[in-house]
Amino acid sequence: MRFAKIFVALVATTLMTAGCASQKEPAEKAMAQVESSVAEFRADAEKYAADELQKVDQSITRLKNALANKDYSMVVKAVPSLNSTIASLKQSVAAKKADADAMMAAATAEWTDLSAKVPQMVEAIQSRVDTLGKSRKLPANVDKATWETVKTDFETMKTEWTDATTQFASGQADVAVRKAREVKAKGDQILSKLGMTPA
Amino acid sequence: MATENPYAQYHVVRQGDTLSKIAEEYYGDKMLYPKIFEANTDVLQDPNKIKPGQKLRIP
Repeated sequence: MRFAKIFVALVATTLMTAGCASQKEPAEKAMAQVESSVAEFRADAEKYAADELQKVDQSITRLKNALANKDYSMVVKAVPSLNSTIASLKQSVAAKKADADAMMAAATAEWTDLSAKVPQMVEAIQSRVDTLGKSRKLPANVDKATWETVKTDFETMKTEWTDATTQFASGQADVAVRKAREVKAKGDQILSKLGMTPA
Repeated sequence: MATENPYAQYHVVRQGDTLSKIAEEYYGDKMLYPKIFEANTDVLQDPNKIKPGQKLRIP
């Protein structure tokens, strides 16, 4: 009786070990595939869906731990669901990247326009400010308070334009465009205060 | 050829205008008329000779 019990236990252990061993290769293969599929778009995912990527990474770590603990069946069972999460993350990252690329293209086009206009505006205002600075009297359409405001606003405008060009050069096209719009609006106000109707 | 600045201001000469009068109108100081003359040497040879209808750039 005792021998029979030992025999059954041995058989069971052997079968379990064999069963586990038979799942080792599929489990390792599946994990390698999971990691390779995430690696394909990891850089974009870090940029556009960092939180979702973190969750996927946590799942991968859990399964790697299971793999290390030889819990192959758990890995084999969990991988299909993880693959589906990865597929939907990949889709979401691609969509967000497409949106960001479109926004960047629009911002770059607007920047091209603004970066042509604003320096011309600055040149025209600078010339007038320099001349009025030498004038013994202000023109009839510009009072002293307006003149003082114009001088201050123009200095701010030039500083902000430098900031915008620096932002654009550092790859922040959207931020640079927002700033450039403000700069142009300030320039329009200055032109109006100085009575400089554009040709 | 330099591109024309779209923000440059222009003045079309009227009957009775002089560069001094124009300088006073835009700068408040008639003594600044040489600024306008220098900016328009492509159309003006003499600061005392301007004609109605001439389009002058006001720098």
